[in-house]
Amino acid sequence: MTSIGTGYDLSNSVFSPDGRNFQVEYAVKAVENGGTAIGIRCKDGVVLALEKLVTSKLQKPDANKRISTVDRNIGIVSSGLLPDGRHFVSRARDEAASWRSLYKAPIPTSALANRMGSYAQAYTLYSSVRPFGVTAIIGGWDSEAELPVDGQVGSGPKVGAGGKKEDGKHGGPFLYMIEPSGLYWGYYGAATGKGRQVAKSELEKLNLSEGGLSLEEGVKEAARIIHVAHDDNKDKEFELEMTWISSLDGPTKGRHEEVPKELREEAERLAKKSLEPEDDDEEEEKMQE
Amino acid sequence: MGGFDFSNHNRNAALHAQGVPLPKATSTGTTIVGCMFDGGVVIAADTRATSGPIVADKNCEKLHYIAPQIWCAGAGTAADTEFTTAIISSNLELHALSTGRKPRVVTCMTMLKQHLFRHQGYIGAYLVVAGVDPTGCHLFTVHAHGSTDKLPYVTMGSGSLAAMSVFETQWRPQLDKDAAVELCSQAILAGIFNDLGSGSNVDVAVITADKTTLMRNYITPNQRVPKQRNYKFPKGTTAVLNEKIITKEDISKYVTVHELEDDSKTATAEVMDVDQ
Amino acid sequence: MTQTGMIEADGIHVDMEHLKKGEVNLGTSIMAINFKDGVILGADSRTTTGAYIANRVTDKLTQVHDTIWCCRSGSAADTQAVADIVQYHLGMYGITNNEAPTTQTAAAIFQELCYSNKDQLSAGMIIAGYDDRHGGQVYSIPLGGSLHKQPYAIGGSGSTYIYGYCDANWREDMTEEEGIQFVKGSLQEAIKWDGSSGGVIRMVVLTAKGAQRHLYLPDQNYEGPGKQT
Repeated sequence: MTSIGTGYDLSNSVFSPDGRNFQVEYAVKAVENGGTAIGIRCKDGVVLALEKLVTSKLQKPDANKRISTVDRNIGIVSSGLLPDGRHFVSRARDEAASWRSLYKAPIPTSALANRMGSYAQAYTLYSSVRPFGVTAIIGGWDSEAELPVDGQVGSGPKVGAGGKKEDGKHGGPFLYMIEPSGLYWGYYGAATGKGRQVAKSELEKLNLSEGGLSLEEGVKEAARIIHVAHDDNKDKEFELEMTWISSLDGPTKGRHEEVPKELREEAERLAKKSLEPEDDDEEEEKMQE
Repeated sequence: MGGFDFSNHNRNAALHAQGVPLPKATSTGTTIVGCMFDGGVVIAADTRATSGPIVADKNCEKLHYIAPQIWCAGAGTAADTEFTTAIISSNLELHALSTGRKPRVVTCMTMLKQHLFRHQGYIGAYLVVAGVDPTGCHLFTVHAHGSTDKLPYVTMGSGSLAAMSVFETQWRPQLDKDAAVELCSQAILAGIFNDLGSGSNVDVAVITADKTTLMRNYITPNQRVPKQRNYKFPKGTTAVLNEKIITKEDISKYVTVHELEDDSKTATAEVMDVDQ
Repeated sequence: MTQTGMIEADGIHVDMEHLKKGEVNLGTSIMAINFKDGVILGADSRTTTGAYIANRVTDKLTQVHDTIWCCRSGSAADTQAVADIVQYHLGMYGITNNEAPTTQTAAAIFQELCYSNKDQLSAGMIIAGYDDRHGGQVYSIPLGGSLHKQPYAIGGSGSTYIYGYCDANWREDMTEEEGIQFVKGSLQEAIKWDGSSGGVIRMVVLTAKGAQRHLYLPDQNYEGPGKQT
């Protein structure tokens, strides 16, 4: 990755002889300089968290939100070039709206990830454009309930639909991460930006695939991981921005919302406390519950 | 200034408002039918084309080629059936070429219905589509507005009622080829004799897995026989009262006469040079 | 043209006389019902052009996905075109999303087409489908393009005659056999009283087991042959 493109890096639609697209790799570099962004898929919801680097003391604290709502049940956090992230979100909103206008129902998180993956990929094909300088984390909750068609009248038989199979589980939390190349995967925990390596190793310790972590715990872990991943030597100031999406019977009722201030501050307090007795060496860090 | 002149539109609208009827396209008052049999499908048609009360053509062709094993019988506006079947035939051949497969009858039927639906009934083509493809034998009707039906025997056109009465009384399952041809012919004859819009001869096409046989004028029940009497007078019936011969010289007094050297050459045209 | 009046659920008479000249009309009796294990769709088989029966064995029950079907009423051309487009969309949905579309999805696409083209269409559709998650569902889209989720739906010119019959005889949670008898009884009445309805009675039963066709012939007093292979 350190090799110079020797002319093969000047255009998007040109491969290098060993099969690389340098423009895409440079876009990844842009992402690596952004503030850390993470997503955690918990058993009853999804948390998105962001290390928002404060570039000026003249910026109002808690303003300039960077985690966006795409549809009522889906949020996106991204790391890298901010304007690219905004455009990406804008497109995601258009995709969600277009799905709604045809199918009269919210877009499933997987379908949105698929469409946005295709969109990002298209920006690696043409010489007239450059790839997105962002890696985006998409978190969503697909409703576990039966959704009506938007605008329908009536609700069918009083006894409910016949022949339903009750055993199946439907909907739930989903988390995807899309890279500048357009590559995307589904994740239990996703991290990108400056502190991604630290954040990833922290996420791995959570054993998210076992599905034991609750949303409330996820919020606290997310806050702690952002703090752990933050490098005081490089960036002094940062704000923690956090959003979450719970199940329909959870705190956000299936919606993507900002984590309430009190809860966030409590999580940050715990995060700072857990950091105090610890060594600076992140690999040796031991978490405690 | 350049541009289009729309003044005729206002003239036509004014004429129409005064009760002048719009010009009408030639419409084939028609009988067309189709019938499945074991191993193939038959379609048949009469051969009368009408223009209002006038018989415009006594022996026209209403069976249209779509593909070697797919044929159409057309009723409605003659020009529309002609051009619609031609364009679909063309597109279907391109489709067959690009897929490297024999065209299917359902494909033809779908292309026809989408074409006709797009034009909202303004293309007045009523068609019986029949054919054999790798999936089997098929028979459809397609109406001008784009609706389709799939049936073992079908009739269309102004003579469809007469023809259907034949099918409804004589059709039975598992016909063989000859019985199907006979049944279709009888249905068309019913149209020819009982419907004013239909007449003249019976055309039949038989499509099987092996081949298509077009039997043009399969039955000609309306042959013109010699008149029992003719009214021609033998030469010399009219008496010659007198005879006068006028020579070229006499005419030269009134007009100029040029002698042409060679009869085979025209007088005025120049010989054109053609590159060989 | 024949009579083509139609009473909607709200009791407003909708003029279906605006069929274009020579257009093929599905002067029709159609219905779909919920029952214990899924849904049943039913229809007569008469297609008319003016006073002439253009097809006496029409199939007005059209499949748009594995276990999503619709009943068509109104213009034959319009309803076939709409059903073809919906079939295309649902096919694409199934492929691109690796998951069969739900009845809601089908109903939404039908409604979008019927509403946005309402000035040019005369299509009254009933959509019924089954899937494991939602069970059997019945949606009705009358002429204006509104969407109604109903325990059962009736439509077409013949439905005017059987509002009372259906209201009196409808029960929730019928068995499959009871459901079939209810649909058959209703359609027999509709065919009896409506001149534009007639021919055979076709049905489709949609359950976890898939789609099962039924056929009932007038010359067997609508008692057979029943299930089709």
